Amino acid sequence: MRFIARFCKEKSEYFEIITIYDEHNEKEEISKEHPSIKTITIKNPAGIWFERKMHDDFGIIFEDAFDNRPLVHQERFPKDIHPLRKEFTQTKIEETPYLPYKYEEIDGDGVFQVAVGPIHAGIIEPGHFQFSQAGENMLHLEVRHFYTHKGIEKMLEGKRLEDAKPIVERISGNESIAYQICYRDIYLQATKQELPLSLQKRHALLLEIERTIHHLTDVGFIPNDAGFGSALSFASKLGEEARRKMKEVTGHRFGFGAVSFENSFIDIVAFNEWLNDLDKDIDFFEDWIMDIPSLWDRFDTTGILSLKQAVKYASVGVVARASGVKIDRRENPFYLKHGFSMANEESGDVGARFKVRLKELKNSIEMMRHFLEEDETVLEVAEICDGEYQSFCESSIGELFMSIDIKDGVIERFFARDPSFMNWQAVHIMMQKDIIADFPLINKSCDLSYAGNDL
Amino acid sequence: MIKFWNKRAKLGIITEKPELEERLKKIRKEIKKSVNKHFAGSLAIRMVDSGSCNACEAECNALSNPYYDLERLGIYFVASPRHADVMLLSGVMTFNMTPHVKEAYAQIPSPKWVISVGDCPMMQAPFERTYAINAPATEHLPIAHHIAGCPPSPLEIMEGLLEFLKKI
Repeated sequence: MRFIARFCKEKSEYFEIITIYDEHNEKEEISKEHPSIKTITIKNPAGIWFERKMHDDFGIIFEDAFDNRPLVHQERFPKDIHPLRKEFTQTKIEETPYLPYKYEEIDGDGVFQVAVGPIHAGIIEPGHFQFSQAGENMLHLEVRHFYTHKGIEKMLEGKRLEDAKPIVERISGNESIAYQICYRDIYLQATKQELPLSLQKRHALLLEIERTIHHLTDVGFIPNDAGFGSALSFASKLGEEARRKMKEVTGHRFGFGAVSFENSFIDIVAFNEWLNDLDKDIDFFEDWIMDIPSLWDRFDTTGILSLKQAVKYASVGVVARASGVKIDRRENPFYLKHGFSMANEESGDVGARFKVRLKELKNSIEMMRHFLEEDETVLEVAEICDGEYQSFCESSIGELFMSIDIKDGVIERFFARDPSFMNWQAVHIMMQKDIIADFPLINKSCDLSYAGNDL
Repeated sequence: MIKFWNKRAKLGIITEKPELEERLKKIRKEIKKSVNKHFAGSLAIRMVDSGSCNACEAECNALSNPYYDLERLGIYFVASPRHADVMLLSGVMTFNMTPHVKEAYAQIPSPKWVISVGDCPMMQAPFERTYAINAPATEHLPIAHHIAGCPPSPLEIMEGLLEFLKKI
């Protein structure tokens, strides 16, 4: 039974704690006067961030939890306020005196701490990494995020579903199409409609373009972090071409606003030409990069996440598939019919994650050929009904989960669990046998989102 | 490896917009004195994300790809605020990032400028004000120039930077 998410909804009389597993959901009610509940982290360690977040957002106490530190509320955040409660309506809060955060640290003779972030040396998002080091060897890493926390869950409450779309598509720029597809599925559930096959194909095409862009960027940046810059130049050229293709098809380089209920024109001949060129270039790239021993010396056996650990920490997406966990939300009749085959590796190291990305790139090209279609279908959308809706989508990082409750025609509660939220919690395990210089390489091989994680 | 160099030779140079270089040459002439005085001939940028969706960062990364190759204009990204002339600020200034952004600004040696990139710092993106958002950035930092767009394309960022150079 795979753990997927755990979150809270505020009802008029009580708090409802919902735990999502792959086979079933569990609902528990707890009183508002004494909001306290048993932790699930003994069985599911990846539940701890969910529970710490719920403590910050709603003030719920988790009995027997191994970690009670604040997660989203950082040093200067006012104490004892719980912004996701309905009674909280402020749009401005004042900084309070600095209260230091207690990092997980290992003490001992000669052991020292290295603090990295929140602002990093490259052009990347903010997040903090705290290493306990014995010389070069990493003894422990604590990943600390939520610097880009914007309060999107609160921002969307009280909005009509239509008005929420521009915000939902900007939760994580790298996964915009995936978020839009999750949102689309919820929209269709709420209007009790089915999506015509041609629109399904168009949206699936956009999702694969997004995956192609993201994976191309990664297969360039991973070797670059091992000091092999020419791979980045090569792959970033292909990435830029893919991004221009996205612009050509959707009118936006990131596909913001692209998943709609109207089909529009695609130049199929030009698209196929691009796919053929890309196919050849990726074959060339693979042939070239696989043959560079100094690079594979860095990739192999670095940052290992074993199958057992990946299952224990409920990892998803590329990270899980590189460790031998066979999960992919695209494993369904629609995708299988259009040429989907799941990429898999066993070794769980940086090299495995790199190879999974290369395989997925090739499979994406194959699928895009099947998704291409000239069509002008328009779906007339019906009235939105109140209810509780959930959806899943396989983004370029992994399985994305979204839940929206609609009450009186507006959003009552919005919750999204980015794949990064699960995988960040497994990153510290990958470090245990490596040196600090391997960290950028390992981090990039997972390529997780900060914005989607922090919400 | 030989295969790679063969391909490299066949492909040639794909960098676009040589006219930008022409424009820069012109601007350089115009502002030679000020650039020499302020930047010693080149512009060093420290990119700081104060809570964006990562699209602006992706476009700034794209500036180094072979199509744009920003460094040919003498503009480059540096790893520390202490090496920078300019802070390029993206994102909505989240409550959690605000103190760190101010600290990074304090670490840039004078003279220094802040350029905001994308609609977020000006609160023009679809995000709305919540408890966790401190934008607009103008309330916290002196913004010298703004590059609009959600996100601005790499070319728009390049042109924005040239405009900024002309302005100071």
